[in-house]
Parts: sequence; structure tokens; C-alpha cells
Amino acid sequence: MSLTSKFKEAMVGLKAGRVTLDYPAHPRPVPENFRGRPIFDAQKCIGCAACANNCPAREILVLDVCQEVRILKYLGRRCTYCGRCSDVCPEKAITMSHEFETATNKISDVHQRLDLFMSTCQRCGRCFKETSPLEQLKLKGYRFDDLENERWIFRSRSFLESEPLVDDIKIELD
Amino acid sequence: MKAREKLDQLKAKLGPAIRRADIPSDHCLFVFVEASALKAVCEYVFRDLDARFITSIGADDRSFSGSFLVAHNFAFDRDHLLCSILTEIPASQPCVESISTVVPAANWAERELRDLVGIELSGHPYPKRLVLPDGWPDGVHPLRKDIPWNFVPDDYDDEREFKFDEPPEGCTVVPFGPFHPTLDEPAHFRLYVEGERVRGCEYRGFMVHRGIEKLAESVLGYNDIPIMAERICGICGCVHNVTYAQAVEAAAALQAPPRAEYLRSILLELERLHSHLLWVGLACHIVGFDTLFMQAFRIREPVMWIAEKITGNRKTYGLCVIGGVRRDLTPALEDELRQVLARLETEWQAVTAAVLQDRNIQKRTRGVGVADRNLVKEAGLIGPVARAAGVGIDCRRDHPYAAYDRVDFDVITAPDGDVWSRLVVRAREVFESIKIIRQCLDKMESGPIQLEIKDELPVGRLGISSVEAPRGECHHFVITGENNRPRRWRVRAPTYQNLQGVPAMIKDQQLADMTISLGSIDPCFSCTDRLETIDLRSGAVKVWSPEELLKLARARGIAAESSAKESDES
Ligand code: SF4
Ligand code: SF4
Repeated sequence: MSLTSKFKEAMVGLKAGRVTLDYPAHPRPVPENFRGRPIFDAQKCIGCAACANNCPAREILVLDVCQEVRILKYLGRRCTYCGRCSDVCPEKAITMSHEFETATNKISDVHQRLDLFMSTCQRCGRCFKETSPLEQLKLKGYRFDDLENERWIFRSRSFLESEPLVDDIKIELD
Repeated sequence: MKAREKLDQLKAKLGPAIRRADIPSDHCLFVFVEASALKAVCEYVFRDLDARFITSIGADDRSFSGSFLVAHNFAFDRDHLLCSILTEIPASQPCVESISTVVPAANWAERELRDLVGIELSGHPYPKRLVLPDGWPDGVHPLRKDIPWNFVPDDYDDEREFKFDEPPEGCTVVPFGPFHPTLDEPAHFRLYVEGERVRGCEYRGFMVHRGIEKLAESVLGYNDIPIMAERICGICGCVHNVTYAQAVEAAAALQAPPRAEYLRSILLELERLHSHLLWVGLACHIVGFDTLFMQAFRIREPVMWIAEKITGNRKTYGLCVIGGVRRDLTPALEDELRQVLARLETEWQAVTAAVLQDRNIQKRTRGVGVADRNLVKEAGLIGPVARAAGVGIDCRRDHPYAAYDRVDFDVITAPDGDVWSRLVVRAREVFESIKIIRQCLDKMESGPIQLEIKDELPVGRLGISSVEAPRGECHHFVITGENNRPRRWRVRAPTYQNLQGVPAMIKDQQLADMTISLGSIDPCFSCTDRLETIDLRSGAVKVWSPEELLKLARARGIAAESSAKESDES
């Protein structure tokens, strides 16, 4: 009978009462496990670039300025908060925070930049011990991502040239 | 031994056409056949052996074997067997006989492989462009290996118009989509309407094709793809994530640990719960019953919250990597999950008790959007649409994966094939999902959740996997490759097949039933090719023609782009 079912349906609604949260005045706390914006800790980071190589969204850039200085830049534009970077980081330098309301009209608000001092090893010193072959570095050695235009350069070298690779970068961007 | 049995049957019937075969497991069969016999083999498999068509795949294999590959995948659901009929096509003459005349369900999949891989189809009944945008130059096929991932064609022709078919005599054209208030993704149906009756339609879609397969084959790595795969769908993302991982595992002969399998089943069922609750809500919304829409969403919310607690996010779970899952379930979370299920069960019982008796909804949905058994077979319909037509196919039972071989559940069917039946099927499946999750929680053993992978994955292996998504079977096909990424990855989402059944479902129906018919398979649409603007000062109404509008939009687009560039530079 339709009338009884209408009555039952009304009961479902009445029993529930008011459930709408008073957001944003009183946001519901996120669970402990929540994957929000990744936060990089420059104190712990050794600059191995595992995070950059395993970020599905290619949101982490690496630029080797010279043998000793490597810049790591997190862009945060299309970061999906997947947490792969924090999974693979051997030093636990990346924490998935509880921040998720990160909308901004100035994209540099969400950038993070780490200027890292790299110790020299006998070889290039820029490698990491992957957890499985599936996490291996795609780009080994020195990297030259384009920080200004925020683009990955799909090329790396086993040596650093004294001249910056400006022209190379141009070719890649074309 | 079913795989061998089928192979013997094939050999007995079409012996000389079969070049070689591979039986990686009892539930999987790869048969390589002569290109000239492809159609005959597929016809035999589809008609005489009564297999269900899954999808067709094209692959550019020239740099490895010197030829193109075409595969037509079929499922023998009763025999628990997935079967792929493959053929190699010489690079010099990329052309193959179309099977769409004997397997109508292959229509789209074949056109897709023609568009993207550039394998010509001889004798295709409707060889119109399907996937590539209208202005894309002919003869450029993005999934070929010599086209880079970021390729932009020089001769992209913005002005090129899409040629619609001529409507049948006496019919008026009513455009439905690409945007429609009731559904949320763009798809254009050009309906041919006679009075209030829909007599036919032309579909135009693929407006949000993102080239994710190309990206995976040229840029991403094996373990990046699961995270991308779950973004294929905003509702059943976890399904793609699991299907991909399983396909790669099948190709590389890896076995995820048992606990990981249970966790996969649990999260897939959680996803089905929230998807079905969402769909029942939306279906009610489409027919104008917003009370239940609100209640369904209310009841659904705790499912989202528990998923967030388990995986770290309410929707994109980021569950699988190759060989396992990323996060474990703690005892505290297990208890909480049980409580959520208990509450959900009582509340959903109250709702179904009311709704399944509701005559208003029945009047609105009975006999609407009917897909009968015959259409299910011909168009390859799957999931709740097939089950509502009395065809009891369900990959969880027919092609068990993850932990589904260790749990008991019923495959819910309904007899009539209309929207009402689909509603009943989905509403009842909620209880089955609850049952499955409870059994998983009871049976789950402790242990590792991730397989240790010591070597690089072997190259050139084939893997297929089917997973029962909330909307039907989701199917992935993988060829493993070099550089830590697959050589070919093909995704067939359930709506791909179900959408092809829509023209037949809406034929000779009231125009007003279009939304719920389409909504009942759970996809998307309205755009009138025009737009009105009102000048506020003068109150003058200007009606824009499509051409003017296109120009305006393009001019704006370019202006926006260049201003963005300027602000970047400054
Ligand atoms: S959270 Fe994911 S998308 Fe974001 S930076 Fe880390 S790996 Fe990249
Ligand atoms: S993986 Fe960790 S240690 Fe390595 S570069 Fe990234 S943040 Fe630094």
C-alpha cells in the first residue's frame, strides 16, 4: 500500500533528525590516519629523490645546482595526497598532515622548497636503495628539473657540466 | 580443466586457424589465431560456445614483434574462464576484419582501437570516429609508440565540424547533453523524437577522454598507475586500482598475500555499499523523490567516514600497489567497521521496507528502460543491468578474485529488465555486501599485507583481470614492458558496455523517461547548442548561434591562456 510506505519513509526521515554538520564553523576532526597535504622536513631529508621519482602526479622537482647543493621543490598544484612520497621516503622526512582545506589563489602558498646540502660520495651520491625494483629511480644521477616553469625534465646525467643546461631545457619544453 | 577443454573445442572446429595458445591458469586462456580467421573464431566463441563479449584491445607491438596486436576478450561465465583471442597484424598493412557484424557488442571497442592505434577495420557496420576529438587530424593515432605522450598535432583543425547522422523521416531532433542537470558527466545523445516518443538516437561521447592509458605506457611506473587508475572514476575508483594491480600480478605470476586479498575484498565491498546507496539516492532524485535522496545520502555518510579512517581518504583509497595493499586494518577499526555495518543494515532495512512497496516509484519505473536477455547478450550488458534482466552474471562468483572464493553470498537477480528491477537488485545487493564484509572480517588471518618483490617484472607477458564494480564488470588488460612500466594497458569500465545498450533501452519510450533510463545504468548528459544572454541595461535578448558561441569560447580560452602566461612571467 502506498500510503503506509509513505508513512514509513517519513519515519525514516524523522527518526534520523538533524544530521547536517555545522561546517565550516565546527569542522569534524579528521581521523588519525588521514592523508592530507604532505609536509617535508628539511632536517631529515637526504635528497635521495625517491619521492620525486615515485610521485604519480610528478609534483616534486629536483634541481642539482652543483655537486653540493640540490633543491627539492614540492609544487602542490595537482598533488592528490596519495602519500606515495611518504611511503617510499627512506628517512621518514615526509608526513601526511591533516591539512586539506588548501585552496588558495596564490599557488606559491602551497609550495615547499628544500635547499639540501649533499655529501659527496665516490660516485654521483645521488641514489637511493629502493624497497622493491618497482620503486627504482627512473632518473639516476644529476637532475635538472625546470623550477621556473615548474616542469619535470625527463633527463638526467651522470656528470655536472659547468654550463647550465639551458638549451637542453628549452628543447624539452618545446 | 575448462581452459584446456575450450581450447580443444576450438581446435576441433577451427584447427588450422589456431597458431598457438597459452594457458597460464585454469581460469585464463590466450589463443593466437590467424588474422584471416579472427572473425570466424570470434563468431564461433560468441555464438556457438555462448561466451560473453568483454572488450577489444589494439596494441602497437611493432618495436618488439614487428606487428600490431588485436585482442578480443570473452568470458565463459559458467566455466569460470576468461579468454582472449589474439591476432598479429603485419605492420605494413594494419587492417583486420571487423567482428561487429557478428558480435554487435564489439562496436565501440573496435572503433576505439581504430582511432587510437590505427588498425583499419574492414566491414565495420558504423565506422564513425568515436574517441578522438573532431578536429584531430586523420591518420594520427595517439596510442602508437612513435607518438610521444605530450604530442600536440600541428594540423589540429578547430573548425572541423562533427557530422551528425540524418534523423529518420518525420522525427524531430532533441539534443540531450552534453550537460544535463540530473547527471554529472558530459555525454551527448541526439534523440530522434516523434511526438513524445523517442524513436532512436545518436550518441556522441568521449568528451573527457584523458589519455590515461598513453600516460601509463610512456611516463608512469608500475606502482604509479594504481594511484592514477583510481582516478578514472570518481565513484568506483578502488575497482580500477584493484583490477590493474590484479592484471599485473596475473601477468607477472605474483600472488598477493591472503590478508591483502581480504582487505581488497573489504574495501571493494565498502565501495559498492557507498556506490549503491548513492545510486538509489540519485535515482530517487531523478524521479523527483528527494526525501529518499537525502536519506540515502545520510545513511551512506558513515560508510565514507569508516573508509576514511581505514585508508586515509573517504573516496580515493589509494589501496593497492602491485603485490598487496598499503594499509592494514587495526582491531579497533575492525570493531568500528562492524558497528557501522550493523547500523547501516537496520537503517537500510527500514528504507527498503518502505521503498519496495512504494507504488509511486513503481509507477514511475516499471516497464521503463527495458533491457531484455537478448539485448544483454548482443550489447554485452553487465552488472546490475544484466542481473535485473534475469542474467545472473557476477564476476565475484564467476571469476573469483581477491577473497571472494572464501565467502558466501547470493547473486541477486530480478526478472523484468526495467528500471524498477535495477532498483530492486541494487537495494538488495547492499545486504549481500554487508554479509561479505562480515565474513571477511571473521576469516581474515593475520600476516603480511605486501608481497616482497625482489626482481623486476618479466617483459612481454599478458595479464587480464575482471572485477565486479558496482556498475558491472571492470576489465583490465596488461602487457608488461620495459622501463618499469606496462607496454600496453587497456581499461574497460562497465559503463562502456552498458551505455551501448541505452539506444535500444530508450527506443519507443516517452521522452520524459529518458533521464531515469539513462540514470538507471548509472552514467550521464543537455546542452542546447545555443545560449541566451541578456544585456542587463537594455534588456535585449541575443540568441547566439553555435558558430558564434564557438568563436567566443575559443577567443576567451586563448585570452585566458595568454593572461595566465603573462602573470606567470611577471
Ligand atoms: S602525496 Fe602523492 S601526489 Fe602528492 S607529492 Fe606525495 S606522491 Fe606526489
Ligand atoms: S624521499 Fe625523503 S629523503 Fe629522499 S628526497 Fe624525498 S623527502 Fe628527501
